[in-house]
Amino acid sequence: MILHTLNASPASPAFYDCAKVVLAGDAVVLMGDGVYAALPGSKGCAELQATGVELYLLIPDAQVAGVIHPAAGFITIDMSGLVGLTERFPRQHAWY
Amino acid sequence: MIYSLLVLSSPISGYCSRSAAHFAQCVIARGHSIHRVFFLDAGTVASSAYSVFPPEEGDPVRDWMVLAEQHGVDLVICVSSALKYGMLDQVEATRHERPGPTSNPMFTISGLGQLVDACAHSDRLITFGG
Amino acid sequence: MKQDGKKTVLVVLKHSPYGSSLAKASLDVALAAGAFEQAIDLLFLGDGVLQLLPDQDSHKLGLKNVSRQLASLPFYDINSVYVDAEAAARYNLDLTKAPIETRALEQKQMHQLMVGYDHLLGF
Repeated sequence: MILHTLNASPASPAFYDCAKVVLAGDAVVLMGDGVYAALPGSKGCAELQATGVELYLLIPDAQVAGVIHPAAGFITIDMSGLVGLTERFPRQHAWY
Repeated sequence: MIYSLLVLSSPISGYCSRSAAHFAQCVIARGHSIHRVFFLDAGTVASSAYSVFPPEEGDPVRDWMVLAEQHGVDLVICVSSALKYGMLDQVEATRHERPGPTSNPMFTISGLGQLVDACAHSDRLITFGG
Repeated sequence: MKQDGKKTVLVVLKHSPYGSSLAKASLDVALAAGAFEQAIDLLFLGDGVLQLLPDQDSHKLGLKNVSRQLASLPFYDINSVYVDAEAAARYNLDLTKAPIETRALEQKQMHQLMVGYDHLLGF
């Protein structure tokens, strides 16, 4: 079980590599430029949804970017919620 | 649980460094402890004593200082990165014949051994980059 | 975690050697871990595989040679070095010429590797 924090836009190599490595049982948290993958109907959104992992969206970062109507399947969390995920997942990997 | 953070992002570029400070605050609020925050590469700019931010942007350096002042969080900047980014304490400024210190004294300049130590003593090692 | 209670660490290198300072920073971390006898393994993933190109000559630009640093890793007891097979194939890399011996892993194998460590340091 790995908690992946994804701070890179869906067009980035980091996004591609993250989507390549994740497996069911992991979670991905979109933050920074990663939040654009929650835009409904976008290619990045479809790629993440196809992985079958738990998907989370960091609210402050989504608000900054204007991603206020995220696609279905993304659970919105605040920073305390992110800490909560790190309590559950024994290891975190940062993609950026 | 015991947390340590590895911060690679500069507070000037993007807002990942600010997010890391906010994360650290929430870690403490949820009852955990922070063993160390280790700043490496561009992350060392978080220790800048001379950065001036417009009032409407907030002060990301101040965010880290509050953690040290109010919660005793150990803030360590990697010496080799710090020197390259011009973050010097008084000792390094004297050693390298620079006019004066440029890093905030709430941050300690030290080696990568402190990061290795953080890995060994923490339940969670959270990296912030980009 | 190892049986002696010590934490295990995997450094994941995802950036090319000279386009940013991250490659050098990550190798400094690996070498420091070795010097302090902290068990550490390496995974070159994505563009990180470009650090394994054999004919790097950074001298004229005054940059530290990443491939030479990699060649010194075994002297610090860093012997478990893994590489992203898909990225290596994408760049058509001949890993037999890499400065250090590596083991190529497919996607699921990389995940299996990563879940075996207490801490993942992503560079």
